[in-house]
Amino acid sequence: MSKLNLFLLLFLLSFSLLAAQPVDGNPPNRQNGHESQTGNHSLLLAQSEPLSNRSVERDHDTFTSTRGGVEIVSSDGEFFAIIGGRLLLDAAYYDEDKNSLGNGTEIRSARLDMEGRLFADIIYELSVDFADGDADMKDAWFAYDAQHPWRFILGHFKEPFSLEELTSRKHLTFMERALPNALVPGRNMGLGLQWYGEQLSLAAGIFGDDFNDDSDDEGDEGWGVSTRATYAPIATERSVVHFGVSAAHRKLDDEEAYRVDIRPESHLTDVRYLDTGKIKQSRTLTMVGLETAWVYGETSIQAEWMASNLERDDDTDVEFSGWYVQASWFPTGESRHYKHQPARFGRVKPLSEQGAVELALRYSTLDLTDQDVEGGNSDQITVGVNWYYKPQLRFMLNYSLVKNDEFADADGDLENEDEPKIVQLRAQVDF
Amino acid sequence: MKITLFCLLALLMVVPSHADTHTKDTLVIGKISHNPKKHYRYLKPMAQYVADQMTDLGIDKIKIRLAKSKEHLADLLVQGEVDWVTETPVAAAYLHDVAGAEILLRKWKKGVAEYHTVFFGLSGKGIGNLQDLKGKVIALEDPASTSAFYAPANELVEHGLKLIRLNSARDKPPADSVGFVFSREEINIATLVHKGVVDAGAFSSDDWIKEDHLPAKYREDFEIFHRTPNMVRALEIVRHDLQPEIRQRLTEILLDSNDNPAALHVLRAYQRTRKFDRISEDQKKAVYNLRNMIKKVDQAIGW
Repeated sequence: MSKLNLFLLLFLLSFSLLAAQPVDGNPPNRQNGHESQTGNHSLLLAQSEPLSNRSVERDHDTFTSTRGGVEIVSSDGEFFAIIGGRLLLDAAYYDEDKNSLGNGTEIRSARLDMEGRLFADIIYELSVDFADGDADMKDAWFAYDAQHPWRFILGHFKEPFSLEELTSRKHLTFMERALPNALVPGRNMGLGLQWYGEQLSLAAGIFGDDFNDDSDDEGDEGWGVSTRATYAPIATERSVVHFGVSAAHRKLDDEEAYRVDIRPESHLTDVRYLDTGKIKQSRTLTMVGLETAWVYGETSIQAEWMASNLERDDDTDVEFSGWYVQASWFPTGESRHYKHQPARFGRVKPLSEQGAVELALRYSTLDLTDQDVEGGNSDQITVGVNWYYKPQLRFMLNYSLVKNDEFADADGDLENEDEPKIVQLRAQVDF
Repeated sequence: MKITLFCLLALLMVVPSHADTHTKDTLVIGKISHNPKKHYRYLKPMAQYVADQMTDLGIDKIKIRLAKSKEHLADLLVQGEVDWVTETPVAAAYLHDVAGAEILLRKWKKGVAEYHTVFFGLSGKGIGNLQDLKGKVIALEDPASTSAFYAPANELVEHGLKLIRLNSARDKPPADSVGFVFSREEINIATLVHKGVVDAGAFSSDDWIKEDHLPAKYREDFEIFHRTPNMVRALEIVRHDLQPEIRQRLTEILLDSNDNPAALHVLRAYQRTRKFDRISEDQKKAVYNLRNMIKKVDQAIGW
C-alpha cells in the first residue's frame, strides 16, 4: 500500500468515525429508540388518549420568539442567539449663564447588540453603537459559563466598579450618570472572574487599556486590576438592601499622563467644565468606591461615593472624589427592579396599560481640584420624570441646576463659576 | 487505490452498525418551556450536579430538552428522548396519563411543598362565595396555568357553576354563568380586579403574597372569598421504563441534595427549590387524578 493510500485510508477512517457520532451529541440509541419505546407503551396508549406515532417534528428543534428583536434558542438550550438594539433620542435646552452650551438634538445611542450561547458553555456578547456616525465598539466579549456560579470572561467589557456604571444606560433613573462617574474605569480589554451567591457577588479582573487606544503610540499600554464585592441581605421583588465596595489599581501607559474631564450630566453639549488637563509624570491610579441602594416598594434610594488617588513621579499624590445620592418614587405603584446575580438594576415593568410614572431627585458633586491640579468642583441637582409607556419604551424629562466653582473652567477655556440650568428630553426604545 | 476503495466501502457498511452499538451515556432532563433561555439556566447546574454523580452507571452527561407543549414533551418521553422531567402537578398528571411518566419526588419549588388557589375581589362589593359569581366575570391567567386556570375553573364547576369564556373583560356573561377572561399575567389579574373591570380574580396563594404579582396597595383593597384545597407545588417525574438503577440513583442524588452544602447553589438555580421529598401513594394518586380535573374543565368549557 502506498503512503498516499495509507493516508487516504486513515483519513476516511477518521471521517467515518466522526460521521458515526450523532450531530447533536445524543447517543444514536435515542434516535433509534422510537420503535421499541412506542412498542413497550402501546398498551398504555390504548388506554388513554391516542398518542401519535410520528417522530418529533423538526419545527420543535428551535424556539423562535421576538420582543422586538429576534431570539432563537435550540431545543436543548445549548445554543441561542438574540439580536437586539436600542435607540435613544435626546433634545436639550440650556438656560445659559456665562458660557454657550449649544441647544439641540442628538441620537444619544443607536446600538445593535448580539448575544448568545455556543456549545452549552460559551456565552458571548457583541454590541456596536453607531450614534456618532462611527462604529463604536461597546461590549465585545465571550465567557466560559460551565462552572456555575462561576464565570470567566474575556474581551472588552466594563470593569467591575460602581453600581451606576454597571447598570445599563437603558435602565438608569436619570438620562446621564452622575458627575462622579468620571472617575470610574469603564470598559477595557480584560480577563475577568465573576461569582455570585444568595446574598453576595464578587467580580474581579485584570485589564489593559481600551482596545482602540494606542493607535499612534508605540509605547506600552497601561494595565490594572479591579474588583467589586456586593452584599444584598434583602433582595426580593420589591424590597432591596444593597451594599457594595469597589477597588481598582492601574499602572498608567508609557505616556504617563492622566486626565479626567466630564460634561455637566448632559451629553448634548461638548462643554466639559470639569477638566484636570493632562497630568503628566503620573505613574499609578488607585480608585475606591462605596455604594448602597435601598428599595421599598415604590420608593428607592441609591448613593455612591468614589475617590481616586494619582501617584506621580515626584511622589506628590493628587486625590479626586465625588458622590451622589438619588431618590425615586413610582406614584403608579411599580418598583425598581434589582437583579441580584449581577448586583445591578434592570428593567422597570409598568403595572398598567397606561404605563409607569417615576419621579426622581438627585444631588451629585465632583471635586477635581487638589494641590496644583485645578480641575474644578461642580454640584448638580436634577429632577427627573420618567414615563415607562411599555417595558421597552420610555420617555424621560430631566431638569438640572448646575453650580460650578472658580476652577471649573474647562482647563482655562471657559468662564468659571458658571451656573446654567438644563432641560433635557429623551425618547428611548430598546428591542 | 483499489485497496482504499475497498476499505471505504467496508467502512461505509460498518458505520451504521457502529452507531447502533453505542451504549447509553446521556440522561436527558426535559421541561415544557415558553422561555427556553431562562429555563436552560435553571436546569443546567442541576443537570451537571446529577451527571457528576452518575459516572459509575455509565452516565457521563446530562442533556436538557425543552419542549414547546405538554404534547411535545409526552412524545419525547414515549420515544425515550427524555428521561426525567421537572414540572407542575397538572403537567405531571398529563404526562402520566399520556406517556406513562411516573412521579419520583416532590419538589419544594420556590420554597413551598404545596399551594392552593385563592379567589379574591374588591372588599365590600358583595361577593362572599363562589355562587355570588353568577352573572359576573373572573380574570384567570392562561389556559396552561394550574393554579390560575385549571384549579379555579374546576372549583367553579365542582360548585355547579357554568363557565363561559368571554372575548373581552368588559363583556357580560348570561345571568346563570360565570364569565372568564385570560389576562396572561398575574399582575394583570390584580389590576383588572382593582380597577373594577372584572368582579374577581384567582391565582395561587404564592402569588397572593408576591409583591410583583399583587402589590401591597392592591392587596389591602382585596378580600379572599374562597380557597381551593392544597395541591403539590411541583414534581420530579421520570419515564416509566427508565432503568431502575438510574431511577434509584437519581432519587438518592436529589434527596441527598437537601443537606449537601455543595448543592446549595444548584437548588437555588433550580427554581429556588428548598428540598425534595417523597410523597405517599395516595398523594401520587391525587396528582394523577388531576387529569380527570383537566378533562372535566375542558369538557365544561367545551374547547
